[in-house]
Amino acid sequence: MTNDVIDHATAASQFIADEPRTDWHDAALWWVREKRDRAASELPEWEALRELASGVKEHTLTHLADYLERFETEATRHDIVVHWARDADEHNRTVHAILAAAGATRLVKSKSMLTEECHLNPYLIARGISVIDTDLGERIVQLRGEAPSHIVLPAIHLRKEDVGDTFHEHLGTPAGLTDPDALTAVAREHLRGHFLSADAALTGANFLIAETGGVVVCTNEGNADLGMALAPVHIVSVGIEKVIPAVEHLPVFLQLLARSATGQPLTVYTSHMHGPRDGQRMHVVLVDNGRSAQLGRPDFWRSLKCIRCGACMNTCPIYRRSGGHSYGSTVPGPIGSVLTPGLDLEKYAALPFASTLCGSCTAVCPVKIDLDAQLYRWRQLITDSDVAVRGRAHSMGVAGAVLGRPWLFHAIGSIARLALRLMPRRLARATAGVWSRSRELPPPPAQSFHAWYRASRRELS
Amino acid sequence: MSESSIARDAILHAVRAAQPPSVALPEVQTVLAVRARPVGDPVARFTAAAQHAGARVLSSPRDAVPDLIASTFPNTGRADSELFVCEGVLGVVENGAIWLSESRLERRAALFLATHVVVLLDTSALVEDLHAAYAQLDIASEVFGMFMAGPSKTADIEQSLVVGAQGPKGLTIVLRTPSDSDSASGSSSRPPATRATP
Repeated sequence: MTNDVIDHATAASQFIADEPRTDWHDAALWWVREKRDRAASELPEWEALRELASGVKEHTLTHLADYLERFETEATRHDIVVHWARDADEHNRTVHAILAAAGATRLVKSKSMLTEECHLNPYLIARGISVIDTDLGERIVQLRGEAPSHIVLPAIHLRKEDVGDTFHEHLGTPAGLTDPDALTAVAREHLRGHFLSADAALTGANFLIAETGGVVVCTNEGNADLGMALAPVHIVSVGIEKVIPAVEHLPVFLQLLARSATGQPLTVYTSHMHGPRDGQRMHVVLVDNGRSAQLGRPDFWRSLKCIRCGACMNTCPIYRRSGGHSYGSTVPGPIGSVLTPGLDLEKYAALPFASTLCGSCTAVCPVKIDLDAQLYRWRQLITDSDVAVRGRAHSMGVAGAVLGRPWLFHAIGSIARLALRLMPRRLARATAGVWSRSRELPPPPAQSFHAWYRASRRELS
Repeated sequence: MSESSIARDAILHAVRAAQPPSVALPEVQTVLAVRARPVGDPVARFTAAAQHAGARVLSSPRDAVPDLIASTFPNTGRADSELFVCEGVLGVVENGAIWLSESRLERRAALFLATHVVVLLDTSALVEDLHAAYAQLDIASEVFGMFMAGPSKTADIEQSLVVGAQGPKGLTIVLRTPSDSDSASGSSSRPPATRATP
């Protein structure tokens, strides 16, 4: 964890220094995007589903307190203990207290971006709890001491050679073993041992059903279910925005979620819990951690509709070519760049600028979050605020001075057109700054648009 | 007051203060009205969807199922760690998923610990899509219920699909058709754990 200001451009430049890796990362995520397109096209009602899902989420968020109370009442009826946590620290203390009360010291976790956001693992480890992330991708990055770089594909920044090296170091596989089947088989056996000896399991939740007090968890590997089915204590850590009104809304979101995430019609396991199994204790920790504040922002509350499918990351030309770690945020990519500045504007002010505003994210979002408009809105707020984005405030000041003085604009234009023709290519590119570092400059036009327009008007008249 | 109840009141208060103006709840019916009209035999379409999810699909008259399992898994013990056989409640044509519920599983963990899982499902228990499935199920009546679509899988290493990530490495679905004796006596399987359709 760091309080340093996130410098996305610098972090991204480190990622793209390895060109073959960048190209692979770009292509792998685009492949997932294409799978999403094929899956979406199988349902003629896809656009109606998106519209409905968006409407259901907007309704829920505008009545969120009522639905949370309803969920609590119904869940309690099913012997689920409901806890509330205002922030990350309160969440971590709550989870630790549950474990301590049960005498649990060995925790297996399935994927939960919320616990990443709260930095739960280091908190528990410092208090003597063994914490094993059991999703394969999350286990890989945990062994490497890294954070996930994608919310659905946590180890997408790694090649199989990296995983082979990590498993060789930590799990004793032969050096040079890089076959995904063989590595997964080793991880399977390694994790089985942890599942069988765990005395508590922690999962996230994809949906909370207010009507029934149920918890729904979607996974492909079966790790969440192994944990829940074996451990004597089950803890669900979940953000307050994950509640939906009723069972009839579940199929709407389930039809959208896996198709948007990986192009599957449904995840392999979609588990519905309405209480602990015999002899088990089940807890749900409802966490705010900045969500109520985001709900109160008229320009940004719709970002809370997010169902965490990751489609906006897979399609984003910046994310695909800069890697999830460059965002320095638990949720990277377009949705992360909309959510995270609300948590700490100074730290994350660079993120809304890590976008081309092409709108591809908005086009694929299954709950129709207007991501590009929200990114643009953050830019306006950041530019108007005292928060300086390195290098940008200065260049914006210069641009303002030039664009506000037509005579200066025309003069600079003439000089630039001449200079670009005369300067050696390398010098010209260096003068053009960051933009031209990996791009050729276009050939300078012979005249300005203004001059061309005047000349053409003369010809016409 | 406990810390959690202080937090509870604070969160609910903050949420109420922050809630944007009310948006009406849209009708799910808007989507149901524009759903694709299903074309073709549901059993064939369910089979294709389940195979696409990585399952093997077999078909058998009800009274021939034990022999089919014995001949399909000749050297496999019935220990939890090897082969686990269970009854599905319903199957979804749209995605090849099967609903399983706690009351029909002897031990839930076995469903995930077994190397190979066999699910028995009556062809009469197929529904068109998830909307129809949830309309028929009473999911809150049991502590655990699950849609399962194919065997456990992952693509976390270089997006290479690996089947058998953590749960079963194989899923076989046996679609049961009525036996000759069934049609003679008119008997059926035990009543499914679903609520009556209004």
